[in-house]
Amino acid sequence: MGKSPLLSVTGLSARVADEEIDILRGVDLAIRPGETHAIMGPNGSGKSTLAKVVAGHPTYETTGGSVALRGEDLLEMEPDERSQAGVFMAFQYPIAIPGVSIANFLRTALQARLEDGEELDLFDFQELLMERMELLEMDPAFAQRPVNDGFSGGEKKRNEILQMAVLKPALALMDETDSGLDIDALRVVAHGVNRLREENPEMAVLLITHYQRILNHVIPDVVHVMYRGRIVESGGPEVAMELEARGYEEYRKAHVA
Amino acid sequence: MSRIATSPGAASAEAIAPETERRGMAPAAQTGNLAPDPEWLTRRRAEAWAIQRATPFPSTRSEEWRYTDLARILPLDDLLPRGSGRPRVDGARGGAVHLPESVRCAIARDDDCAGRVIEMNGAVVSVELDPELASRGVVLDSLRRAAHTDPRVRAHLATEAVPATDGKFPALNAALWTDGVFLRVPRNVDIERPIRLNRWISRSGPATFSRILVLAEEHSRVSLVEEIQSPDLDRATLAHAAVELYARGGARVRYLSLQRLGHGAAWIANQRTLAEADSTLDTLNVALGGSFHRVDLNARLLGAGANSDMLGLYFGDEDQHFDFNTSQDHVAPHARSDLLYKGALDGAARGVFRGIIRVHEGAQRTDAYQTNRNLLLSEGAVATSLPNLEIGADDVRCSHGATVGQLDAEALFYLMSRGMSRERAERLVVTGFLGEVLGRLPFADVTGKVTREIETKLRATRTLRKTG
Repeated sequence: MGKSPLLSVTGLSARVADEEIDILRGVDLAIRPGETHAIMGPNGSGKSTLAKVVAGHPTYETTGGSVALRGEDLLEMEPDERSQAGVFMAFQYPIAIPGVSIANFLRTALQARLEDGEELDLFDFQELLMERMELLEMDPAFAQRPVNDGFSGGEKKRNEILQMAVLKPALALMDETDSGLDIDALRVVAHGVNRLREENPEMAVLLITHYQRILNHVIPDVVHVMYRGRIVESGGPEVAMELEARGYEEYRKAHVA
Repeated sequence: MSRIATSPGAASAEAIAPETERRGMAPAAQTGNLAPDPEWLTRRRAEAWAIQRATPFPSTRSEEWRYTDLARILPLDDLLPRGSGRPRVDGARGGAVHLPESVRCAIARDDDCAGRVIEMNGAVVSVELDPELASRGVVLDSLRRAAHTDPRVRAHLATEAVPATDGKFPALNAALWTDGVFLRVPRNVDIERPIRLNRWISRSGPATFSRILVLAEEHSRVSLVEEIQSPDLDRATLAHAAVELYARGGARVRYLSLQRLGHGAAWIANQRTLAEADSTLDTLNVALGGSFHRVDLNARLLGAGANSDMLGLYFGDEDQHFDFNTSQDHVAPHARSDLLYKGALDGAARGVFRGIIRVHEGAQRTDAYQTNRNLLLSEGAVATSLPNLEIGADDVRCSHGATVGQLDAEALFYLMSRGMSRERAERLVVTGFLGEVLGRLPFADVTGKVTREIETKLRATRTLRKTG
């Protein structure tokens, strides 16, 4: 654990733009390369907001604190710059882009990473895409379908994992990737994340989740509990187990007190 | 084009210039002054002229022109021949024929074709057809010339499909048309590669009237791809087309029209498709250029088993104004029509769609669909969509729908979170949105051309906005 943090979140507070109440109220979090962190918490605790603020969602404005990736101020960057710096967010509700195939979408995303005037080699791209799909045990025909258009919940989440596999981020934010998945789909998605972790041991993962069950498949190094916009407890995987047993009642009491 | 030989009586575009110079003729002499019109045609023109004189210009008081104030867009009185009312038919005047760069460019991007007609300022200057097809009875010719040589022209020209009685512009066209295309495909002849028509308007000034007449006999197949271009014009200039498409029993006709005129040009087209039993008659109208674009398209399903896919795509920016007026007439039972028009509007562009499905009495088991979707890319763009149904039979499946939406901020964020700049993300969403229309067609070169043009336009407007 001697490494310097990949992601440093310090005293971060944020709200929906033009609203008056902060959803995040002083979040502190440091994730080092190769670590997997899970953030658990009840509905409305701010865990999804944290992921979106880090990714640069325009709905939110920060009201205090800082977010840095390898020491660079992320809050100053546009969402596309954050992506190119190595941030990837797997969406809780991935968006349909009618008429745009997954292959075309990913090609465009990779092309955007090149200098002006530099052209992505289509043959290389095709090879990369096929190799990535094989790694995730996906049918190559999947890449020809329009992005998330008419996809089942499971297909949408697999598409997120495929994008992550192609874009190879330094930091993967997984925003309730497990929600709405049956156990088989959950296994497939977890398997994909684990393959990518094995392949790139430096990749850091922040899992936002409601439930402990995904943590049986993707084992976290650190589990945080978020409550009312703050991280109120951090520890090892046992924290998740305890939460499953106890629920959030004691945090509620503590908050009231 | 290597497999195409010049058809009898026509010269290839490259060959024309030297030949006309040798003969000391204007290129229009190739067709426009070939011979005086046959007597029946002269009479028909005079009748049409009388009809147009009795027909006022469309005004916004009429339902069909409510959202387009033509008088403000086009100085019609300046564009039309003046005087006594005797139509004067001019072909192209003066100047050696050489293809303008943009037409050459357009042709260079085409895939192989079975034949090509080139029309400049309303005069056909070149006709080419695969000789193998000519030997099987396919006719591709200047309409003006075919009026002399093919009795089918007299039988079908401005009679059933786009007669002078249809309105002001059909009447003007029937009186004043200078030339156009006649295409006839005999029974059972299947032309795999498309026939192409390149049209060019070189200058501001008088209105140009042109016609297309396609007769596809029983169980024949043919595609016609029209592309019209011009430079930017310094004052409003009208190009009008009357398009008459006949598909006999079991035939398949596809007609694609790409409008890529320059700024200042106004394009008005009256199109009618007549689909007999078990035929397929599909159309695509693409509006990209020009300052004003109006298409009146009427699809008539005349026999059981007839099918028409009606596709449209428009991308407007600056002050472009597009207006589509479509109708699907189900005269016969057991026929199907499916309309999909999609448009994206940027800048202060305006889009109007007005469509109606008419299921005539007794047209049971009709399947008719009508969808118009608009994507607004700026605060200043406006789309008006008026879908309509008129059903005179009880056992039918019909639907209509219209949407006007804006770029979805969530979608843009999704794309940007994958590393795309806002501009790149917008381009991808727009081309994807419009791509649904192109995806229904098997012509890769058309898809490529249209996609490139949309991307170029998007880049231009976005750059302007940034620096402006």
